[in-house]
Amino acid sequence: MKTRPLGETGHDSSIMTFGTIALNWLEQEGADQMVELVLDRGVNHFDVAPMYGDTELKLGPKLRQHRDEIFLGCKTQERTYEGAKRKLEQSLNRLGVDHIDLYQVHGLEYEEELDTITGEGGALEAFREAKDDGLISHIGLTSHSEPQLILDAIDRIDDLETLMFPMNPVVAGKDDADHDYEAVLERAAEEGIGTLGIKAFAKGPWPSTDELPEADRPYANWYEPVDTPREIEERFDFAAAQGLTSVVSMGDPKLMAMVLDAATRYDGMDESAQRSLVEKLRHDESPVPEQLHH
Amino acid sequence: MDVPTTVSTALEDRPVSGAVCLEAGAGVGNTTAGLLAAGASRVYAVTNDAAHAKAVSERVARAEPDRTAVLEADLRSLPLADDSVEIITAHGLFNVLPPESLDAVVGEFRRVASPGCHLVVDDYEPLPSDAAIRELFALENATSELARGRPALTFYPADVVRRLFVGDGWTFDREWTLLDPVPWTENHVRAHANVARSFASKLPDELGDQLAADADRLETAIGSESVGEMYSIAFQYPE
Repeated sequence: MKTRPLGETGHDSSIMTFGTIALNWLEQEGADQMVELVLDRGVNHFDVAPMYGDTELKLGPKLRQHRDEIFLGCKTQERTYEGAKRKLEQSLNRLGVDHIDLYQVHGLEYEEELDTITGEGGALEAFREAKDDGLISHIGLTSHSEPQLILDAIDRIDDLETLMFPMNPVVAGKDDADHDYEAVLERAAEEGIGTLGIKAFAKGPWPSTDELPEADRPYANWYEPVDTPREIEERFDFAAAQGLTSVVSMGDPKLMAMVLDAATRYDGMDESAQRSLVEKLRHDESPVPEQLHH
Repeated sequence: MDVPTTVSTALEDRPVSGAVCLEAGAGVGNTTAGLLAAGASRVYAVTNDAAHAKAVSERVARAEPDRTAVLEADLRSLPLADDSVEIITAHGLFNVLPPESLDAVVGEFRRVASPGCHLVVDDYEPLPSDAAIRELFALENATSELARGRPALTFYPADVVRRLFVGDGWTFDREWTLLDPVPWTENHVRAHANVARSFASKLPDELGDQLAADADRLETAIGSESVGEMYSIAFQYPE
């Protein structure tokens, strides 16, 4: 699998990042096999979080066995110094390791949170202290929120080294500021910040729980995923071709082999094929009926 | 509204900012929106279809009344002065122009073009012979010929369009591939089947019913198909 420099961290990440939440749905033996599978295919960047059920515990054994082969990203939703310090210790304990390569502010949603994190007694104080103590090496941030908030975070966090945010052909086809993640990509490239793409495989939100109860969903994803080899490949290719360092895999372990296959075979994507995908999805959800042309 | 990537790509290397523009064959106004977003000083959106004129007015022109004029007119006799336009776009226009109209439309483009005017023609290459959607387009053309004596769709190769305008004094600038493949989605397939059914309804009952049933069958059988290529050719008129 190809690798790309993760910003200026000095690490070359595989173009697919293993979203380890997939392990949460497997028994320990299956989880161990999954880790062996993704390593065998050349994935060297893993992403985990304490909120993903038992994921940290299930990742632990194989993570410890292969610690040198894995660039480990973890994250916290805590916004204060005390909370973040406690969560980092907890993650290190549950994972059973003494070092996390990349520790990320998880799921930034509001400007006020940015005030808290960057302020006195904020989470970033704990991050920096951990960096000085050798518990973590790099600081990152993840967000599903509007691009402007992520741009503000870049301005306000000088030692930010990675960003994780949504990127797919539906998002890329929308021109409004709320979907302008291209601006984030450009800015990140200027600043030498590594970029990790999520929601690359999203087909759309799940139907309402009235229509489809959560227990009846066929996949353990936050969103309804594309699920055929061809669609997964074109979605992977599209996300990787936007200039992201790495594309994060889907939450459901059943789809992992197809994502790995797409990532292994990635060889760029022509711009005319990228536009073709954007157009296809734009017309699928277009509010304007009766269009004969593109 | 979101400007389709086909439109924004085709315009990205043209000096739209501050220019007086003509969108020839305005459709639902996608290129008018693209020209306005790129900073056009004024856009004449011309279409001979009343429903399209209304769509452009509502979707695009209402928000930009000072910079947009929607004109319901025939492209073979444009209601614009000589040498009055700096950018002309024909995005998905030529495939709905029957061959006998080409000469008049090309002549009108040349008449309204000011010296140095840019022209962008975006359209589809003829489909490969194994494309399933060819059968639907053939039915659309057959019903159109029977109902009104001209085809609904003609796919002119990029090379032919290039020779057509170079032969009329324009200088070829560049050719790009906008879409490869072209995603004919379920919405497109349905829209084209609707055109065929609409022409079929104007035919004698027995024939019309048969062709309408064919349109139903093809719509279901094709579903959607990604096939073919959409090109963008840019020209400039000498200063």
